[in-house]
Amino acid sequence: MKRCLPLAAVIVLTALLPLLLDPRGYWIRVLTITLLFAAMAQAWNIVGGLANQTSLGHAAFFGIGAYTSTVLLLKFGISPWLGMVAGGVLGGLAAFVIAIPTMRLQGHYFALATLAFGEVMRVIANVWTSLTGGPSGLSVPFVPPSFAAYSFKLLRPHAWIALVALVIVTAIFEAIRRGAMGYRLRAIKQNAAAAEVIGVDTTRVKLQAAVISGALIAMLGTLYAQVAVFFDPDTVFSIAGISIRIALIAIIGGVGTAAGPILGAFFIIPLEEIMNDLLSSRAAGLSQLVFGIILISVILWQPRGFITVFGSLRARLSRTVSP
Amino acid sequence: MTILDVRAVSRRFGGLQALSEVMFSVSRGEIVGVIGPNGAGKTTLFSTLVGLIRPDSGTVTLDGRDLAGLKPHRVASLGMTKTFQNVALFAESSVLDNVLTAGLLHHGVDAARGEALNCLDRVGLRGVAHKQAGNLSFPERARVELARALCTAPKVLLLDEVMAALNHAEMAEIMQLIRSLRDDGVTLLVVEHHMRAIMNVCDRILVLNFGRLLADGTPEQVARDPLVIEAYLGRSREAARR
Amino acid sequence: MSFLQAILDGLLIGGVYAVISIGLTLVYGVMGIVNFAQAEFLTIGMFVAWFAWAFLGLDPVLAAPLSFAVAFAIGWVVQGQLIARVLSAPSVAQIFLTVGVLIVIENGSLLLFGSQFRSVTTSYQTMSLSLGALFVSVPYLIAFSMSLACGIALWWFMRASWFGRAMRATAQNPSAARLMGIDTELMYKIAFALGVGLTAFGGAVILPYVTVFPGVGGQFVVLMFTVVVLGGLGSVAGAVVGGLAVGVIQALSSLFFPIQLQNLVLFIVFILVLAVRPQGLIGASR
Repeated sequence: MKRCLPLAAVIVLTALLPLLLDPRGYWIRVLTITLLFAAMAQAWNIVGGLANQTSLGHAAFFGIGAYTSTVLLLKFGISPWLGMVAGGVLGGLAAFVIAIPTMRLQGHYFALATLAFGEVMRVIANVWTSLTGGPSGLSVPFVPPSFAAYSFKLLRPHAWIALVALVIVTAIFEAIRRGAMGYRLRAIKQNAAAAEVIGVDTTRVKLQAAVISGALIAMLGTLYAQVAVFFDPDTVFSIAGISIRIALIAIIGGVGTAAGPILGAFFIIPLEEIMNDLLSSRAAGLSQLVFGIILISVILWQPRGFITVFGSLRARLSRTVSP
Repeated sequence: MTILDVRAVSRRFGGLQALSEVMFSVSRGEIVGVIGPNGAGKTTLFSTLVGLIRPDSGTVTLDGRDLAGLKPHRVASLGMTKTFQNVALFAESSVLDNVLTAGLLHHGVDAARGEALNCLDRVGLRGVAHKQAGNLSFPERARVELARALCTAPKVLLLDEVMAALNHAEMAEIMQLIRSLRDDGVTLLVVEHHMRAIMNVCDRILVLNFGRLLADGTPEQVARDPLVIEAYLGRSREAARR
Repeated sequence: MSFLQAILDGLLIGGVYAVISIGLTLVYGVMGIVNFAQAEFLTIGMFVAWFAWAFLGLDPVLAAPLSFAVAFAIGWVVQGQLIARVLSAPSVAQIFLTVGVLIVIENGSLLLFGSQFRSVTTSYQTMSLSLGALFVSVPYLIAFSMSLACGIALWWFMRASWFGRAMRATAQNPSAARLMGIDTELMYKIAFALGVGLTAFGGAVILPYVTVFPGVGGQFVVLMFTVVVLGGLGSVAGAVVGGLAVGVIQALSSLFFPIQLQNLVLFIVFILVLAVRPQGLIGASR
């Protein structure tokens, strides 16, 4: 109980932040996006951290979620909350379908396969115009503000919903990490054959991790759709903007730990925003270019400890935060 | 009462016939030794029994249940598991976590922890429960692996050279442990190179060479079998005669 | 008849797909890494050829060796300075290094060249020859012939030249190769530079019928991956078979399915191969 206190304090403080920020302002939007990406990275962390499989295709599920809830809303007037659940189901299903052929693949090959899946979803979305509106994207229709309709006048509720989502996804991550599934995943990561021999159903456990991760990210796609109000295939199925970004956030923050994605998001997203501000106004692509250069530099500087670049910093901070 | 029945199991890897028509049965509560020169197919046999390798032909039956096509985790849940020759621990996890994971086969996390501690007690390693598995000495790791296999509550336990790199005292302890496991109702198959240990503790011995079963009998019978002597035990006698 | 026409078109295009994808599989075969930036070198090749056309009046087909050379040089530096340093690092680091290169090249192109679409016009763009009842599109034919020439050169290099044999030795067993006096660092540089050079060559060759813009490489990513997975990740011969197969599959599916579903067919092929035979049709083991 005593260790939970600092954690609870942080959550409460973060919940108070939106009240301090200008409700129509720029920074509350950044906060919302940061919280959202932290949640997404945490969901990725289940596969990338606990199951140790570097997936570069999670945008597939994110986009599925965003499109499912929005299309259901547009075509049938279904509330985004229900749409979110439907998106979660579809996302989990997609994860299942993708996990089966990719399960036996290692490292690079796995990353390649998942990247390809994400790309294919993007192409399908761009081309299946009757369902998705094609490259012109979809707009979430305006609905009179109400909680039930997931429609709000200000950004604050979106920030709070994102915070709640982050807390829930983190709780799920921790439950997995500490529970039987966590032990099994750690065993598989270290020696899959030995794990099998002592009774770990490696296929089933990996599938479970994949499905949970995919379903969660899909649901976060709905959150994004409701905040962004407009999106297109190239945004929600983006390799660089979604798949790579959430993997990097988790990795730089500390893959396999609960605090990692959170710290990573709060470091990277605001940094990106600042860089965008400073540089992109000069020229399109400049901030991304700088980001790429920074990424390469970081890896070269600490190739073995790419994962622990901010590890010591994180460790010092997280001694107060993580259990 | 037959608990394990192996019929005409064969397995080829490319040009090498690793196992050839291997046939034997094991009764409940037996301690069966498996010996043979390096490369004879002993580890391949164990891997086939637990399902890591699929035989090209033949059947393996555990307690009346045909194990064809079953993955190792299924075989483990049916009651058979093995240890690895070069020890395959989860090096970054703690000793306790290694054993606990095996306990998850039949228990929830908390109960599995209790079981794991019991198994560690059994092999005398409770004191290092919280050490990182990769930091232990080789004999200690072999014992952790034994504890881990035990934690799956097996009916049939396959031990692959658990006594490698042990001194006499340690070997005696393991042999005692093996006997006590049998007293608890576990059937054991033991691959070993230490002849005296094998002859001492086993009820029966299987001799493999080039994937074939050369002999199947009591230690005395096997020691006198001319085929076995020629292939394995008696090369020095051959040399002495010349 | 349209069936045969589709197969012909598919083979012609497939030959180019093979050249574009060989680099990816070659790098994996020799170094064990997937170069996630591979498709960006296609973009580089296309831009080089376009600028050669716009400012020097060079036909893209003639500019192809120039594209090869530029990409080769860039690849040499990238391998030597960047990739060499992570060859013994965990795969996560390797993956994200080439991802970083991808980001840099794609956005670098955006900065340098702007986002507009560019294309070339050549005298033979709409020409076609007749082969009995079939039509042979001239740009396709030229692209295929160039690819064939390239393929033969590569085959000679890999089989008959010392460098090629040294590279194959390095791919099979780096420590043994070193013991035999092969400079494996050099081999890696050659393999990588050669690999990206080939992709760039392929880019130049398709310029007559594909529009170039900074993101064009991204459009070929899934295709390249399907080709190498189909043929077997690491197998050069596999990339050839895979390329031809993908070309034919694409062409045939355009006969039977509306454009929406054509990509789906490729996607299904990709999944099936992964699920049923991840080592590919020819299947080199790494």
